[in-house]
Amino acid sequence: MNNIALGRYIPLNSIMHRMDPRAKILAMLGMLTAIFIPTGFIGYGIMAVIIISVVFMSKLKLNFLIRAMKPMMFMLVFLMIINIFVLKTGYVVVDIYGFKIYSDAIFQTLYISIRLMLMIMITTILTATTKPLDLTLGIEDLLAPFKRFKVPAHEIAMMISIALRFIPTLIEETDRIMKAQASRGVDLAEGKFKEKILAILSLIVPLFVSSFQRAEDLADAMEARGYVPQAPRTRYKQLKRTWRDNFMLLIVLAIIIAMVALAISL
Amino acid sequence: MPIAFKQVSYEYSPGTPFAYGALNGVDVEITEGKVTAIIGATGSGKSTLIQHLNALLLPSKGEVEVLDRTIVAGVKPKQLKSLRQNVGLVFQFPEYQLFEETILKDIIFGPINFGVEPQEAELRSLHALNVVGLDESYAEKSPLDLSGGQKRRVAIAGILAIDPYVLVLDEPTAGLDPQGSKSMMNLFMTMNRKYGKTVLIVTHDMEHVLTYCDEVIVVDKGKVILKSDVRSFFKDESLLVELNICPPKVVDMRRQLQKAGMKLPDDIFDIESLAMAIAKEVNGHE
Repeated sequence: MNNIALGRYIPLNSIMHRMDPRAKILAMLGMLTAIFIPTGFIGYGIMAVIIISVVFMSKLKLNFLIRAMKPMMFMLVFLMIINIFVLKTGYVVVDIYGFKIYSDAIFQTLYISIRLMLMIMITTILTATTKPLDLTLGIEDLLAPFKRFKVPAHEIAMMISIALRFIPTLIEETDRIMKAQASRGVDLAEGKFKEKILAILSLIVPLFVSSFQRAEDLADAMEARGYVPQAPRTRYKQLKRTWRDNFMLLIVLAIIIAMVALAISL
Repeated sequence: MPIAFKQVSYEYSPGTPFAYGALNGVDVEITEGKVTAIIGATGSGKSTLIQHLNALLLPSKGEVEVLDRTIVAGVKPKQLKSLRQNVGLVFQFPEYQLFEETILKDIIFGPINFGVEPQEAELRSLHALNVVGLDESYAEKSPLDLSGGQKRRVAIAGILAIDPYVLVLDEPTAGLDPQGSKSMMNLFMTMNRKYGKTVLIVTHDMEHVLTYCDEVIVVDKGKVILKSDVRSFFKDESLLVELNICPPKVVDMRRQLQKAGMKLPDDIFDIESLAMAIAKEVNGHE
């Protein structure tokens, strides 16, 4: 359970780690936009090169990112199957006893998988180089201008930071309960269907019970310390934007413009 | 049938920036049929150590011998069920693992998983419920309605009903009141003395170690640095100082009296014999 790569912060000291979280969030949104511009394989190739160089800049290992993508494989296979059945345009690539697979189905799947992979890489770079708390501070600041439209920026940030805070706790708890039930002879790998259902129940019920208990305790603890969401508060940690952050945002903007230009010219 | 660790090392999250060696070459043999205390500071590797006993964790290096099984690093063991049936492991705060609608159903869950016939399993479960000090009227209640201490009893009954050969408990008295922890420890004594089970208890309470345990294993920084019988362990004053362990009250009092000049024998381990010895010494002076 401790090997989950998706969304995990990796404490390293790199230029990406030192960037301002607000700038990183904006840059990520910009890069996601750029990925969504239909530029074909050339554009995606360029994006891939850029993103991989950012991976090296952040000192992350490439196989860490590949592990982050593993959970997605199932989805891609599913997508491939649907595309093969639904898309009937382009030329015929394979013909198995009258069942035809068309080129567009394959290209579509490839497009979507490359896009998804690039998106996961970009978001993983963000979460791996930014402490969860900095991330929520960034989100809160970026949402601040929307406060006048009654967007509860602080509450949203608080909810996200609490949720992020409890992910490792829940993983630990799951691990613990799994081991405790394994000691009682639960075997998630083997056994009949009915036994498996019971095995999963023996994991989920205690997990729910303790999660609700934790939520209640946390609410009490916050109340005991007089937490009021609307109260004006200062911050211990001040975010600072430097020329590096502006420079990164400029590059992202340039990438978006270049991708739009490429899409139009194609 | 031995329970032995041979040069066992265990590393969490190997090959990642989070890699952490919790055990570094543990070498120890656990005496059968005894109550053994495992002590050591928080984070010294006690919990990691005991999870090797029923192969919840597999050694990164070395080998673990448990009863008729040998688990060697790098070899994936098969048929873990029989091992887990023989070594009952109770985690810290086991009350969080209850999940069934009724207490009986929850206790019976273990034995059924290990393939015990339903009728036999029910008998065993009711017996286990009695052993932990709850009567049969509890059988049909929901485990979630019980108090914390009762929940823990039910969870322990769930392991006892499996009828393991070795019973391993990770801080079973944490968070219980003195009365509750006393009866909990007495329960494990009964399991050892009456049912002949080998019992291993991870604990921080030196009073418990002295009163209830036969042997003691000291874990420090992922290594077993000492194995000794409880009495000679508490007799060795310089050792306790070196390990930074506060001795039990009786031992401490005997020592202070000796320092103050009273002549007392060194092998006094309970309050009655201490009182007797003091009385004898005082009377001898009159």
